Amino acid sequence: MREPIPTHDTTLPRRLADFGTLLEAIEYAAKGIRGLNFYSPRGELETSISFKEIAKKSQEIGRRFIHFGIKKGSRVALIAETNDEFVCYFIGCQYAGLLPVPLPLPTSFGGREGYTAQLNQQMKSCGARVAISASYMLPLLDEATSGLKKMKFVGTSDTFEAQASLKEIKNVALPEAHPEDLAYLQYSSGSTRFPHGVAVTHKSLLANCHGIGNEGMDLTEDDRVVSWLPFYHDMGLVGTLLAPIANQVTTDYLATEAFARRPLQWLKLISKNKGTLAYSPTFGYDICARRASPTKIADLDLSSWRVAGIGGDMIRSDVLTNFQDTFKDVGFRHTTFVPSYGLAECTLAVSFARKNTGFEIDLIDEKVLTGEKKFLKEAKVNGNGVNYRNVVNCGIPIAEYELEIRDDNNIDLGEYQIGRVCVRGTSVMVGYFEDPEATDSCLSEDRWLDTGDMGYMKEGALYIIGRVKDLIIINGKNHWPQDIEWAVEQLDDLRSGDTAAVSIPGERDEEIPAILVQCRTRDAAERTAMENKIKDTVHNMIGISPVVALIPPRSLPRTSSGKLSRVKARKQYLAGDLVFNS
Amino acid sequence: MTQSVDEIFEQICALIKPFNNKNVPLNKDTVFSVDLELDSLTVMDLLSEIEDEFDITVPLNMLPDLETIGQFTQAVQKLLSE
Repeated sequence: MREPIPTHDTTLPRRLADFGTLLEAIEYAAKGIRGLNFYSPRGELETSISFKEIAKKSQEIGRRFIHFGIKKGSRVALIAETNDEFVCYFIGCQYAGLLPVPLPLPTSFGGREGYTAQLNQQMKSCGARVAISASYMLPLLDEATSGLKKMKFVGTSDTFEAQASLKEIKNVALPEAHPEDLAYLQYSSGSTRFPHGVAVTHKSLLANCHGIGNEGMDLTEDDRVVSWLPFYHDMGLVGTLLAPIANQVTTDYLATEAFARRPLQWLKLISKNKGTLAYSPTFGYDICARRASPTKIADLDLSSWRVAGIGGDMIRSDVLTNFQDTFKDVGFRHTTFVPSYGLAECTLAVSFARKNTGFEIDLIDEKVLTGEKKFLKEAKVNGNGVNYRNVVNCGIPIAEYELEIRDDNNIDLGEYQIGRVCVRGTSVMVGYFEDPEATDSCLSEDRWLDTGDMGYMKEGALYIIGRVKDLIIINGKNHWPQDIEWAVEQLDDLRSGDTAAVSIPGERDEEIPAILVQCRTRDAAERTAMENKIKDTVHNMIGISPVVALIPPRSLPRTSSGKLSRVKARKQYLAGDLVFNS
Repeated sequence: MTQSVDEIFEQICALIKPFNNKNVPLNKDTVFSVDLELDSLTVMDLLSEIEDEFDITVPLNMLPDLETIGQFTQAVQKLLSE
C-alpha cells in the first residue's frame, strides 16, 4: 500500500509565509519533501503530490496559458474539484500572471438552472477568458458559459493541454510576479445574483497566511492539516490550501461531497494520519456528532488533534458541546476548539481564540442586545428572569490588524459596547474586482473595512453578534433576526434555514417584523395553523405580532457561500417575488 | 444480474422510508426537496445509503438533474449498467 506524503521534514526549516509572492512560497516549499494527499470517499489514498511536483507542473501550465495567448491579468474560471489538478491550475495561473477564479460544484439534488445561472453570473462579472472543469462537468459548464463572448477556451485540462506539445512551450518565458499584483478572485461574499469577486493580492494573501501559521495555528514540526473544505470557499482555499503551501504543511484532503455523505471519514483520516489541524464551520461538527454511534467511532483516536478550528458561520456553543461529549472517549479534548472570525474581504482570517482554552461563552443580557442598556458591564450574570444570549469568544485579532468597534458616527466605542466591526490591515482586500461602487460601500479611503458584522470587544477579544444590515428595530428596540429565526425553526415541521426574519415598513412607515417561511404544504388548513403558531411564537418573543409570509421551498435567497441573504430576501418579498404560484 | 427499473424503484423507496417522517406516499414523481421535505444534509445522508446499497457512486454532475424519485431510479439504473 502506498504511503501518504509525510509530515516531518528535517531538510527544510519552516518559514511562516514570509514571502513576497505565492510563487516564492511554492518554490520554497518545493525544496522540501512535504506535499498534499487526496483521499477517496472511502478513505483510500488516491493521489499524492509533493510541493516540488506541484511547482513543476504549475510552471508547465503557466507556459501553456501564455503560449495559448491568454494575456496577463486575465481571469481563469476553475470549477474547484478537490484534487491535484485544481491546485496545479491555480498555481499555474500564478506563473502566467493570470487570476484564477475558483467556482463551486453542485452540492444538492435538483436546481440545475440555479447552479448554472450562478456560474454564469460569476464568470460574467469577472469577464473570464478561460473556464476549465473535469470532463463529467462539461455539459453543465457549457450551459453556464453560453453567451459569454469573452471566453476563449472552455473545456477540460486534457483538451487544454492538447493545444500544444511540451516541446512547443519549452522556451516560453514566464513573467515576474510582484507582491502588489492581484493573485486571484474569491467569490464567497455577496449574493448569488449580484456577485462580487474579492480581489486578493499576493501581499494580502501572504500576510494572512503568516497570521494563520503564526498566531492562528502556532505551527510546530508535527503539524498536519486534514480538510474537507471546498477550494471554492475562502476557508478551504486559503485556510487549508494556500496557507499550508505558504507555511509548508503537509495536508490530507477528503472531497467535500465525500464528507457530506460520510462525515466520519474526516475524523478517521485525522485518526489514521495523526492530523493536528482541522477546520470546519459549526455545521460540520454538527453532522459528525449526529452520524456518530459508539460502534462507528470506537476505533478512532483523536488525541493528535491540536486545533479544531471553527469559523465561517455563527458559532453555536450547543453544537460544540455536543461534539465534545460525543467524542471525548476517543481522545477529543475540549480545549482543542479554536473559534475564529474571518471573511473573504480580509483574505480569510481576522481573529483566533487563544490555544488550549476551548471555546469561551459570554452570556449577555438581552437588554444590551436590544439597545436598552448600553454597556455590557452593566449586565450582571446572576439574576433570575433575565434573558441571556450565548456569544462565543472569537479570539484575538492577528497582529497585522487594527480593529475598532464603531458606532453610527464612526466613533470608536472601545470595549464593552456593541457596534460595527471595522478592521484595517495588510490582508484587507484592495476591493471588489472592477466594482468601485460595491468597494466604496465597505472600504474607506483610509483603508478601513466595515465588515458589516456587529460585535464587541472584551479584554482584547472579539465577540460577533450578527450582521448589521439585518438588525430589526421595533419601537427603538433591536432584535436579532437569527434569534427570531431560531425560535420559529424550533416549531414542528420547520427546520434550520427555513426562515428569514426581516423588517418591512408598516402602514405608517413604522417598522414591522416579517417572517418569511419556506413552507412545503399546500393544504390551506395546515398553512393557517402554521401561520398562527409562528405569530404566537414571535409575539411571545418580541411582543409584537409579525407579518408571516409562507413562501415556496428553497426560495429564500442565499449568498454564493450558502448563507441566507436577508437583505435580498426582504427586497424580493417587497417586490412580490416570493410567492407561491397557484 | 440486471435489475428492472421497478425493482430499483422499490429498493430506493425502502431506503427512503426511514427519512419519510410524514409518510408521504412515494411514487416516481415524488420530489425530494418539496414532497419529502429533505434538507440538503439529509439528502446527502440518503444518498450515501443508496450508494452503499447499490455499490455505486453518483457523480456530482448528476445531482442537479435529480429532482424526483423517478429520475433517481433512472440514474441508478444507468450507473448499474455501466
